[in-house]
Amino acid sequence: MDRTPPEVHVPAWAVWTSLVVCALGLLDAAYLTFEHYTESTTLACSESATINCLKVTTSSYADVFGVPFAVLGVVFFLGMGLLCLPVAWRRPGRPLRLLRVAGAVAGVLVALYLVWVELFRLDAICLYCTGVHVLSFVLFVVVALGSAAIVEESLASEREYDGST
Amino acid sequence: MARRKAQPSETTARQAKLAALRAQEARKRRQITIVMAAIGVVLVVIVAFIIVYAVTRSNSSGTASSAKTTKVVNAATGVPPGVFAEVGTGAAKASPQQIPGNHSLTADGKPKVLYVGAEYCPYCATERWAVVAALSRFGTFSDLGTTTSSSTDVYPDTATLSFHGASYSSKYLAFNGYETQDRQNRPLDQLPAEDKKVFQTFDAPPYVPGDSAGSIPFVDLGGKYMIVGASYDPQVLHGKTHLEIAKAMHDPSSDIGKAVDGTANLISARLCTLTGQQPASVCKSPGVTAAAKAMSGS
Repeated sequence: MDRTPPEVHVPAWAVWTSLVVCALGLLDAAYLTFEHYTESTTLACSESATINCLKVTTSSYADVFGVPFAVLGVVFFLGMGLLCLPVAWRRPGRPLRLLRVAGAVAGVLVALYLVWVELFRLDAICLYCTGVHVLSFVLFVVVALGSAAIVEESLASEREYDGST
Repeated sequence: MARRKAQPSETTARQAKLAALRAQEARKRRQITIVMAAIGVVLVVIVAFIIVYAVTRSNSSGTASSAKTTKVVNAATGVPPGVFAEVGTGAAKASPQQIPGNHSLTADGKPKVLYVGAEYCPYCATERWAVVAALSRFGTFSDLGTTTSSSTDVYPDTATLSFHGASYSSKYLAFNGYETQDRQNRPLDQLPAEDKKVFQTFDAPPYVPGDSAGSIPFVDLGGKYMIVGASYDPQVLHGKTHLEIAKAMHDPSSDIGKAVDGTANLISARLCTLTGQQPASVCKSPGVTAAAKAMSGS
């Protein structure tokens, strides 16, 4: 019996778009982390009644259990970046695929929570945070659609059928 | 013969493969439907957020007075850093004084600011603008209101904000603000025992002169510093509307800007000593460092 692993066909757009989104998200979250640990002294963001990065990034909602959301963002995009490497996308089997989808879902849920906080608790919007939220949503869309479009072919079974073993 | 025997099994296998392919296609369609539904749900939630936010905003500005309150509060709580920097200590006449001894006032592990005042009180009306401007640099107020001081007291009808019903969230500081009476001297907020004890202890001799005991406004900054009375001349606010005052706080060359923002810088500098100079964006800002320098030299 042939032990060749099943061939996984992943849409190229899903692989590359997800990687680019993770890279952009990582940059954005890294900048917010830098600002967090340098006490937002160089945060380049316009200030108005609604757009106010400082109000958001220095609010009591900026941390969860003492961990800044900015740091969680870095961890999230790093992790998702690894899960979205071409080799990870093309790896057969469900566990990695489910982990990637679960990560994307978690990302978009956290983003929704933070949008709610900004709109209804702080009444202020941080543009860099919004960038992360948009990227989380795009990543969710790409990962979800990409995962649904994956075709896994069992070469072994076909060869068995063809009698080519 | 061998070929004829293989034909039925090949046909069965092809049919099985076809069925498997169809099943795979159906599964894929189901997956895509689920994914599209999930994306749709997220989009609906986002759109719902935006609609609720827009409706809430339009409701809050549904009446002329609430629209004005929103504008006033937004302006008073959002003085740009550049304005604070330009004002420095401005026209502030007094700074928060150190409380003798080694006291501390904390809540939830954070330094606590306690404000005790009343809506009728013109000096409270004066001080509130600066307290709000300063605390807004460290956290966020919710439900701040507007009021005016008593029509029958000195500096009558001074336009101001009110801490009655307001709340404050910050990762650096805790804040409790009480307006004990409304502008017509009717009872309003009651101090809980803990805060009442602080008020009665430090707004009394030996911390203040005997004839000033119980004076308001009383502001305790983390048990280390306190303000009793107005820190700038209430006259600068005389005859001004809420909106005029709030807008003037954004003008470093205005008398109000110099008085309110200068006082806010002094309060901020004291608060920075309580928060371990955090956030640096506030505590290392030119306005606050100028205020700290002025107080260290005083």
